[in-house]
Amino acid sequence: GPEELAQLEKLLGVPKGNKYGVQGERKVPVLQTNNGPGLTGLMTIAAHLVKQAKKDQLLGSTAEEKAVVQQWLEYRVTRVDGGSSKEDTRIILKDLNVHLEDKVYLAGNIFTLADILMYYGLHHVMVELTVQEKEKYLNVSRWFNHIQHYPGVRQHLSNVVFIRNRLYTNAH
Amino acid sequence: MGFGDLKSAAGLRVLNDFLADKSYIEGYVPSQADIAVFEAIAAPPPADLYHALRWYNHIKSYEKQKASLPGVKKALAKYGPADVEDTTDAATDSKNDDDIDLFGSDDEEESEEAKKLREERLAQYESKKSKKPAVVAKSSILLDVKPWDDETDMAKLEECVRSIQADGLVWGSSKLVPVGYGIKKLQIQCVVEDDKVGTDMLEERITAFEDYVQSMDVAAFNKI
Repeated sequence: GPEELAQLEKLLGVPKGNKYGVQGERKVPVLQTNNGPGLTGLMTIAAHLVKQAKKDQLLGSTAEEKAVVQQWLEYRVTRVDGGSSKEDTRIILKDLNVHLEDKVYLAGNIFTLADILMYYGLHHVMVELTVQEKEKYLNVSRWFNHIQHYPGVRQHLSNVVFIRNRLYTNAH
Repeated sequence: MGFGDLKSAAGLRVLNDFLADKSYIEGYVPSQADIAVFEAIAAPPPADLYHALRWYNHIKSYEKQKASLPGVKKALAKYGPADVEDTTDAATDSKNDDDIDLFGSDDEEESEEAKKLREERLAQYESKKSKKPAVVAKSSILLDVKPWDDETDMAKLEECVRSIQADGLVWGSSKLVPVGYGIKKLQIQCVVEDDKVGTDMLEERITAFEDYVQSMDVAAFNKI
């Protein structure tokens, strides 16, 4: 909600002054604007902040990258925030592990808003994973460890530890 | 360090394994370390070595900026897993041997020649060193590893600790010592080579098993 958006503002270097509220039972974040009802929704506001900070490349450069970024932003809101059962989490980690097999970042070779918001959205999941699970979802662990070391991203969130020698899998 | 012979399938497998949980050869940003290894590889790794291939394609995307990436290119033996040696011969694309101009006008040419020279000197030093019998300084360390509570599986905890492998580290005997409230701590002996393994590293790796280990202390430390 608003706390995540405040973190995002800090990471992006957005000038201060934005005011946030929440709407409805599901506490959807709202960015208050001078005229009109305001901007609603995490993804909408996040994309707006990226433009406010003049860091449009975080939304992707090519048409394909932009589409992939949007895909993961949508995934974050519908799957990560939406479902929260153990089975949902397992499916999300499996999806991500497959997607990240041949990519360093979610959109391929560039760091984007998708990486940032999926990192924030998944932090509470990664913190709880056992050593064995972190190894099972090796590509997710690699990606998460990379993003949490990206300058400005982690801020006050706890550092998730990934041990270097692998106990359960040999090679691969 | 090193990856074995990066021109061989075996070397690429070491690289693949190394990169399974890392985006880059060193640290969390692309650097000259990645360029050094990238240039030692003849062609894109095969599809079954998918970690190496992922890394290769990613570094290739930085091809235009490679000169401005941070860091300094070092010999291949400086990168990679600790327990492997570099055996890639003439790691750089073999420039004509006639062309021994160390002060070439082309920046890239110069760094490759300098690199070759450094590697030759390194090989000379290593062979000289191996002729002298080395006296290795060792220590015997007794570690106290404490679990979270009396329900922690101490057998699993011990398994985790013993799974820690490193060059210069040998695990010895262990026993469980009651410390009160039904909690037992694991007291385990190890012998380490002083210049390879330190208590900081042991602490970091043991406490990484956060599901089992609450803390680790050095109970005793003796030079042997």
